[in-house]
Amino acid sequence: MSKSAPTISVLTANRLSDGAVVFLDFDGVWVESLRGAVVARTPDETRALESRGAFDAARNVIVEPYLVEMHESADGSLTPVRFRERVRLGGPSILDDVPGYVETPKPAPRAEPVHAEAA
Amino acid sequence: MYRYDEFDAEFVRQRVAQFRDQVERRLKGELTEEEFRPLRLMNGLYLQLHAYMLRIAVPYGTLSSRQMRKLAHIARVYDRGTGHFTTRQNLQFNWPKLGDIPDILAELAEVEMHAIQTSGNCIRNVTADHFAGATAEEVADPRPYAEIIRQWSSLHPEFSFLPRKFKVAVTAAPHDRAAIQVHDIGLHLKRLADGGLGFAVWVGGGQGRTPLLAKKIRDDLPEADLLSYLEAVLRIYNLHGRRDNKYKARIKILVHEIGAEPFAAQVEEEWQRIRDGALKLPEDEIKRIDAYFAPPAFVAPPAGASARSPLGEPDPAFERWIMRNTHAHRQRGYAIVTISLKPIGGIPGDASAAQMDAVADLAERYSFDEVRVTHEQNLVLPHVRLADLRAVYDALVEIELAEANAGLATDIIACPGLDYCALANARSIPIAQRISERLAARQNLIGELKIKISGCINACGHHHVGHIGILGVEKRGEEHYQLLLGGSGAEDAALAAITGPGFGPDGIVDAVEKVVDTYLKLRSGPQEAFLSAYGRLGSAPFKEALYAAAA
Repeated sequence: MSKSAPTISVLTANRLSDGAVVFLDFDGVWVESLRGAVVARTPDETRALESRGAFDAARNVIVEPYLVEMHESADGSLTPVRFRERVRLGGPSILDDVPGYVETPKPAPRAEPVHAEAA
Repeated sequence: MYRYDEFDAEFVRQRVAQFRDQVERRLKGELTEEEFRPLRLMNGLYLQLHAYMLRIAVPYGTLSSRQMRKLAHIARVYDRGTGHFTTRQNLQFNWPKLGDIPDILAELAEVEMHAIQTSGNCIRNVTADHFAGATAEEVADPRPYAEIIRQWSSLHPEFSFLPRKFKVAVTAAPHDRAAIQVHDIGLHLKRLADGGLGFAVWVGGGQGRTPLLAKKIRDDLPEADLLSYLEAVLRIYNLHGRRDNKYKARIKILVHEIGAEPFAAQVEEEWQRIRDGALKLPEDEIKRIDAYFAPPAFVAPPAGASARSPLGEPDPAFERWIMRNTHAHRQRGYAIVTISLKPIGGIPGDASAAQMDAVADLAERYSFDEVRVTHEQNLVLPHVRLADLRAVYDALVEIELAEANAGLATDIIACPGLDYCALANARSIPIAQRISERLAARQNLIGELKIKISGCINACGHHHVGHIGILGVEKRGEEHYQLLLGGSGAEDAALAAITGPGFGPDGIVDAVEKVVDTYLKLRSGPQEAFLSAYGRLGSAPFKEALYAAAA
């Protein structure tokens, strides 16, 4: 918990098809990058994100949505507060060491926008 | 090796078809995650930190070349070219896609493999001494009994929803490589007073957040009564094990809370009721299963056969490998070979598809088609002719799996940790890598030293029974590591004790080195292994070295 700054958070989940870590962006699309993620700064925004996560989980787009607490730097870039979430965002820290490791996954192309009203 | 009969094959085939349908319905949105989760877990499919993870059962750690090649194929086609061998003698793939899982399971079924009961609150894959059937130490091969238990426990209707998961390990040797005292049930196959075979039965061991050593509740169980007795143990647990709190739900808590003797008395009472019923093992049936595990057609060696060529140049690296990674075989002229999956600075338990294929080739050519997976995350070629050791070694050098470190400080057990696991609080693998690099140059000087690392309290990395154990925790959002000393998972089983305040990710590597330096300084000589020295010295000098400067 950050004591100095107000808590901000983003909505994350795992994609149903391959379990990849995804974040909800401004367009309502679940993407693999934190860039463009919707940030909740108030209790109302937090609740709105939570209900969006529950909605998309119920629609079987993503699995196990939850809010991740973030630090925001002066230039607006976001870093997860917990180390666990930093590893979850960045991927395994050891892939360079995997013997015979084939490839680093390319970010998947953006999925079709998944808007609530499309349900 | 055991071969599926028609019933086994049909059962696994049906299961694949069922799960194919379930996955299709999940992807179409006809099943919710809540509905699907128990179904996928029953088929070994987890959702981890970055992806799905499929855990494939390797019954009692025994694989054929064909099976190993299939695992390599799956790694190549459906994963990212690597498989991870685990502390429960299983194999995990870290990157499968949900839609591919039914095809993967169908491919596994082709080689008599599956992922059933590798998760969930059921009787899990039975583990065994990885030298079973090869070591001269044992009274008989314990794997036929592990196979009998596998058949009895697969989809056992009464035990598919136990209070918590249930793990059984079997050994037949006095030197316990199966860690039977930290299992829910540990079975020690032995010769009984009447000359027949039977079991010492240990119950209620386990690690996790409440580590407890098993209690021996029976010393003379005749082999014919194995299943009825296990059934009685499971029934008492199923009836009285706690379902209100998952952290108190394992049988170890029940045995601990009511006491080993009262527990044994309840088991005895139930067993007397059922021992002469349908579960009595007919001698013919034991013999039938035994036949699958008959020793291979060993060839008596020519007189004076040796691994070393009398004419060759001395080769210290090969000599070291012979010293560390080969073990006495029951058959004269043969050796058991440990293939270390712990290259210096590497990822414990990982093998690439190419390495798996190469090991399969070696097994086919030099080890009667058999490979074993060890709970220490290595592989074993159980039956290699002494005369073939040089060829095996040279082939292992080619695939970078010839590290001569079995049982040494760089032969580290580590769970996947926070790099993969959704439950972990801290990374395990990078800590193992840094310790391996730090101690590599001195590992032969240090001698036997078992370092075991878990990334959370669930203890998949067996830190409670490490000579040096490391437990990763989360402290104020960051990784933090506790250090434990003096544990053992062998016949001298003991739980390690925490030294004191923990360390950061760099500090823990320094701390391990300080412990090692202290041991080297205080040991009575190279013959006094770390665990013996710790037993003699106690924790005080190690704590002094770790914390005195800071005090």
